[in-house]
Amino acid sequence: MAPLNYYLLLSAFMFCVGVLGVAVRRNAIIVFMCIELMLNSVNLTLVALSSFIGDPTGQILVFFVMVVAAAEAAVGLTIIIALFRNKQTINIDEINLLKW
Amino acid sequence: MLAQILFNLAFIKPEIALTMTLCAAILTDLLYKNRTGLVAGIVLGGFAAAAIGLATQAGLSVSVFNGALAIDPFSNFFKMVILACSSFVVLFSLGSNEVSAMKSRQGEYYALLSAMALGMFLMVSATDLLVMYVTLELSSLTSYILSGSMKAQKNSSEASLKYLLYGAFSSGVMLYGISLIYGLTGSLNIFTINTVLAHGGASSPAVLIAGIFLLVGFGYKISAVPFHFWTPDVYEGAPTTITAFLSVASKAAGFGMLMRAFKVVFIDTGALGTPGAWSLLHGIDAQSILIVLSILTMTLGNLVALWQDNVKRLLAYSSIAHAGYMLLGLVVLGNDGFSATMLYFVIYMFMNLGAFYVVILVSNNTGNETMESYKGLGARSPFLAVGMAIFLVSLTGLPPTAGFIGKLYIFAALINAKMVALAIVGVLNSVVSLYYYARVFRNMFLRESTGETSLIPISMPTYALLLILLVPTILLGLYFGPLVQFAQYSVAMFGIK
Amino acid sequence: MTFALAVFCVLAAISVVSAVLMIVQRNPVNSALYLILNFFSLAALYLTLKAQFIAIVQVLVYAGAIMVLFLFVIMLLNLGDDKRLREHLGPKAYIAIGLVVALLGELVFIFSKSRADSVVALAPNAGQMGTVEFLGQVLYTKFLFPFEMTSFLLLAAIVGAVVLAKKKLQQ
Repeated sequence: MAPLNYYLLLSAFMFCVGVLGVAVRRNAIIVFMCIELMLNSVNLTLVALSSFIGDPTGQILVFFVMVVAAAEAAVGLTIIIALFRNKQTINIDEINLLKW
Repeated sequence: MLAQILFNLAFIKPEIALTMTLCAAILTDLLYKNRTGLVAGIVLGGFAAAAIGLATQAGLSVSVFNGALAIDPFSNFFKMVILACSSFVVLFSLGSNEVSAMKSRQGEYYALLSAMALGMFLMVSATDLLVMYVTLELSSLTSYILSGSMKAQKNSSEASLKYLLYGAFSSGVMLYGISLIYGLTGSLNIFTINTVLAHGGASSPAVLIAGIFLLVGFGYKISAVPFHFWTPDVYEGAPTTITAFLSVASKAAGFGMLMRAFKVVFIDTGALGTPGAWSLLHGIDAQSILIVLSILTMTLGNLVALWQDNVKRLLAYSSIAHAGYMLLGLVVLGNDGFSATMLYFVIYMFMNLGAFYVVILVSNNTGNETMESYKGLGARSPFLAVGMAIFLVSLTGLPPTAGFIGKLYIFAALINAKMVALAIVGVLNSVVSLYYYARVFRNMFLRESTGETSLIPISMPTYALLLILLVPTILLGLYFGPLVQFAQYSVAMFGIK
Repeated sequence: MTFALAVFCVLAAISVVSAVLMIVQRNPVNSALYLILNFFSLAALYLTLKAQFIAIVQVLVYAGAIMVLFLFVIMLLNLGDDKRLREHLGPKAYIAIGLVVALLGELVFIFSKSRADSVVALAPNAGQMGTVEFLGQVLYTKFLFPFEMTSFLLLAAIVGAVVLAKKKLQQ
């Protein structure tokens, strides 16, 4: 069995990869997928902590995070579709009607 | 088990009223198509029922549903502000051209407004990090949808996308902070977290990192700098009624949640101090972080507002600056600071909603929101121009309006806590803000209109609504005793002496 | 190196590689497929932690519903054209990489200094805790209120999605 530290380090790495994706990528859908990666790294942290501490609260929180992520994905993809219908692009660099 | 659930349900009557309003609004819109007046009426009726429920809970201080929520005077105060703001926004929407252009989707608009109000009600009552996250997401998701609801406008979709990406990212970071705190303390209930941290867990660097991650989430909601990047774009692109709602109610809910989390988690219950003042747990210098945050927020909000041309964007940056003033109330670490912030919220609600209502009325008539359209407003509609002038004077913080009283109490709390330098920074920022408010003032009264010069017709209901917002703005500047007393009474939170 | 540790290393490697590949792909379809691979490896990791219910729900909800929705939307928007998918990485990208590396360093630092180093074995009730019965028991008694609240979250999300996505057939 791998020690708790290995799971936490793995999830920290995935979280940072997700943050990097959100900061660097310009395609709105890929940015949204990186946010989903971040949420999954949080899920891994919570399940690992829950299993090693012996408290079910972490796994219940994972359950709620999944529900919220599903609702957010539904709303987010709808917004992207609505934006695409208006502007024919989902590149964040080209979506700059509103500036300083 | 069932008896316990029924017992607990008696304490959340306002939230039950709001949930029934949400369901009734959706059903009514389904059954009676295109009768938006009916849906709006049902939503207002539901808000009235929630207000009655709030009034019956006036003195309670209990924790319900196994530590998930706390019904106490603190949450009651914020719920009243949120409910008043929601009712005003529904009334604004009935008279707004932007909302009427949505035609068949107006029913869902009003239903989502009540869903957002429900999310905010639960946010200020939450005492469990899990409940805080879920309710934060409920109010955020409905905000994303509502800010994108003017589908024909490109600005609206763009605002909605930016809001979504920033909001989802911030709540993801906040969630990571929650998971770290869970790992450190083994629980998500804020009282248990405080107990564990007080027993020596507070000085590890992990708590600091987790606290900063949590602050990203809270800071996004109250649009504190440097988490404010979504605010100007969203406020400019969204329908003005939603902008007004976000600028007051969303900020109130975010502040309520932040104040409760901050006070309960980070104070040292074992330390004896003068009643009304408290000290932080050793190892986390949360006060310095808040000081830096408030200075950045005030300064950036005021400075960038100076060169804005779009009035909605100007008011967005001004609301960022006002969030900075409110954060000053938290820095004091005492009950008088908290009550000053809460008092400021009531005053801020009246003046900000008033300013946005005038923006709605002017854009109904001229079709845009730039500074140009305000030229000559003094001649075209003296009532609107004078009303806007009073709201702007109050936002600056000049006597005898209520804005002066709000800022007075915050600066007084700062000076009493020996933080005179911060008070001076606040006063300087108010002076800077005078410049950009005065630009609108000058355009209204001292410039000729470049577009139409006809008189703007104002109907009776509009007069009444503007008066309802104007009168408290002036009255609270002169007769503020009862409100101050109520704010000081409402600082009492469940579980904290 | 025990068998459990070897399994963990293989799954961790798959997670890491698929996550990194996901953020560098130009075509969003490829990104989505790598993300699905990542989700499957995470589900397997949950199984090593004896969280059976969460593992199955991960596959059903994330890989089975959310990613399918993503793929639908990607196909609907039809962004296959290589010219449209080109992205311009300015100097800001390097600043971002630097900041994220610093963040990773901080997180590694706090994990190495905390008590997590000494925790090696799963809690004794971990197996019983991950079952549907136990989690259901906890969910419907202690966390009943958040559970009911999420139903309103889903209702608002559904209503909102229809508001935004529906095309008007007639005004």
